[in-house]
Amino acid sequence: MVANAFGMGLALLGAALAALMGGIGSAIGVGDAGKAAAGVVTEDPSMFGKVLILQLLPGTQGIYGLLIAFLTLTKIGVLGGSAPDLATGFAIFVACLPMAFVGLWSAKMQSKAAVASIGLVAKRPDQFGKSMIFPAMVETYAVLALLVSLLAVMSI
Amino acid sequence: MAVLPMKRISIYGLKKDRKQILELVQRMGAIEVKSEKLPKDKESVFTQMDTSQAKSTFETSIRNLTNAVEILDSVVKPSGGLLASLNGKDAISVDDYYETAKDAVNVTKTAARINALKKSIDDNKADIIRHQTAIEALKPWVALDISMRVKGTASTSVFIGTLPDDYTEEKLKGELAKALPDVNAVDCEVISHSTQQSCIFVICHAKFGEKVEAALRNMGLSYPAQPSKQSPSERIKILEGKIRKCEEKIAKDTKEIEALAPERQKLLYSIDYFTMRTDKYEVLGGLWQSAHVFIITGYIPAEDSERIKAGLESKFNCFAELDDVSEKDTPPVKLKNNKFSAPVESVIESYSLPGKGEMDPTSITSIFYYVLFGMMLSDAAYGLIMFLGCAFILLKFKNLEEGMKKFLTMFFYCGISTTFWGFMFGSFFGDAIDVVAKTFFHYSGPQLTPCLWFAPMEKPMQLLMFSFLLGIIHLFAGLACSAYQSIRAKKYLDAVYDVLLWYLLIGGLLLLLLAMPMFAEMTQLSFTLPSVFAKIGGIMAGIGAVGIVLTGGRESKSPVKRLLKGLYALYGVSSWLSDILSYSRLLALGLATGVIAQVFNQMGSMLGGNVVGAIVFILVFLIGQTLNIGINALGAYVHCNRLQFVEFFGKFYSGGGEKFSPFEARTKYFKIKD
Repeated sequence: MVANAFGMGLALLGAALAALMGGIGSAIGVGDAGKAAAGVVTEDPSMFGKVLILQLLPGTQGIYGLLIAFLTLTKIGVLGGSAPDLATGFAIFVACLPMAFVGLWSAKMQSKAAVASIGLVAKRPDQFGKSMIFPAMVETYAVLALLVSLLAVMSI
Repeated sequence: MAVLPMKRISIYGLKKDRKQILELVQRMGAIEVKSEKLPKDKESVFTQMDTSQAKSTFETSIRNLTNAVEILDSVVKPSGGLLASLNGKDAISVDDYYETAKDAVNVTKTAARINALKKSIDDNKADIIRHQTAIEALKPWVALDISMRVKGTASTSVFIGTLPDDYTEEKLKGELAKALPDVNAVDCEVISHSTQQSCIFVICHAKFGEKVEAALRNMGLSYPAQPSKQSPSERIKILEGKIRKCEEKIAKDTKEIEALAPERQKLLYSIDYFTMRTDKYEVLGGLWQSAHVFIITGYIPAEDSERIKAGLESKFNCFAELDDVSEKDTPPVKLKNNKFSAPVESVIESYSLPGKGEMDPTSITSIFYYVLFGMMLSDAAYGLIMFLGCAFILLKFKNLEEGMKKFLTMFFYCGISTTFWGFMFGSFFGDAIDVVAKTFFHYSGPQLTPCLWFAPMEKPMQLLMFSFLLGIIHLFAGLACSAYQSIRAKKYLDAVYDVLLWYLLIGGLLLLLLAMPMFAEMTQLSFTLPSVFAKIGGIMAGIGAVGIVLTGGRESKSPVKRLLKGLYALYGVSSWLSDILSYSRLLALGLATGVIAQVFNQMGSMLGGNVVGAIVFILVFLIGQTLNIGINALGAYVHCNRLQFVEFFGKFYSGGGEKFSPFEARTKYFKIKD
């Protein structure tokens, strides 16, 4: 395997995209959900614990992105492993894409479900168990993307 | 283990015992009172009392008492820290309860006093602000040594007011001279001036009064809104005196509230007392009553019924009648499970309690709940922290709230499972042990963290297959529950059509897959079933599929419709695919915990094995691992619920039961011991 600067660049780009887009998505998601949560807490401070959990739900995509980025970095010689050739670099780049794109979109969409669920819990605090499931449904796809990226990066 | 069977209970008692009987029933807390409406059309010897007036009086008392406690707490911080809320309710005897009841009226007076004091404090605070604003307004006038209300004498006119500009005495005199060239007997003084306004004092001969006023008005003169009777400096002194008085009054009132702090417990108890009375009157309002008799009707768990009946009949001259629940009734649901499963009841409840004829899924759910949660968190150290933390609180605070206790017990078991899976997959704070050994003790050798089975990072495919296997077991268990429900309802054919055929189809397809070399290669399985299994699997799947097509639409009469519905039912196989794939989250979340922990360990060890490196490592370790345990425990909890609610319950459970909520002492601060 001949180390190739361009290959390295591609692999890094993949890692950066996974962290970037997952992070951006989660930041938007947690931010939106946080606004709704703060509104609920002004009315009823005892709801803090419940709405905080709902606010945190769109936050996982950023962590998944970080995970993929880190895994990539340990592979390509930044935090361990060896520098990739052009083909491997490109492969790693592509492997990072599911997490990057799905991370961004699912976090944004999940925040909408989370905001609605926060509204639900505000009106009916006893329905907390169900309210958590709606945002978690969206998260499924982030988990699947994580899985694909994870398996791909690990086996390249 | 089950949904408790219910009985209908009717208690017939004499009106003279009404209060005692109701209170006893409330203290026993075993009966959900369901009073039916009196038939309107017929004349009846029974009537229902209107208790809304009394209830609203009690509710007002509760509000006042709650307010008083809040005020008290804002003045005197209640003792006890964060963990004080774990202490639970005080146990008091029945006699103490009656003491509280007798005291309640006096306590409401205390509460009223506290509320009045608070109101007085608030009023005084508002007065202080008002006085301070008045002082601010007077400050520019301090140099004036006469009353601001002076309009003049018999022969002079005086104007005291403000001009909207910056005037010096010279400028003001000049302007006046310009405006009134023929007026000479005018004198003026600028008391204070700033860029926005000037406070002026003008005196002139009475005969020029109107002219001077007109000129001043042209310049924008306005009179002060609240001219003081005394000279401004005197007025300020008076106001300052008033402020002092207000402050003294506030201090006095606050002291009085502080002196009432020992009453806090009595206030809390009285809140409970009035809550109990509100509930009692709610029930009382529904009771059927004649001139001498009253009837309580409701539901009672069958296992308590004889005891309660005997208890009531031995103490009072009354009769309790027990009936079996009829087909038409929908009795409330109460679950009963052993200590291992009971904590998961709250999870079931947050979905929905079993509907009519459904089984209690708690015990089977609990086993999968603990296993799946553990797999998703899968770090031995995190598991130990959870397990020890919950055990500590459970042992230290014996008097915990029931709900809190269940919640902690659930995580206690989840912690054990997490520890187990952590050791299986070789994760203890990720790879912290090895990182520390390598960085600080220059260890190089085999991995130190015990790994009893295999490391998921090295064989992710194997863990994925294992996750699917667990998923299939979970889903098949759900189908088995569905069969159990059909058999219990004596619908034996349904069990065959809806469960057995699916077992054949899915089981057959799985055999078929496992016998394919391609599948084994793809999934890195170490074995392939002999080809005879492919044949068996194919036959099983075929029987299942044909059966499902034939029976899937059995409710419809028309054969075409039936066939189409049957085909649609077979299409359900796609939902099985997505259900099974959904369990891949076990792998994803399990890996996420391990990898994030490793990220923090590696970040911490970047500065090498010196003293600074050790300090940095400890800091990064503490922050990182705390963050990781929080975020991943939340993830495991949410996704574990999802797997139960969506995948598992989807196979057999729809819920819809109403929770058994007995007429009981719904107190927050004390509980009565009989």
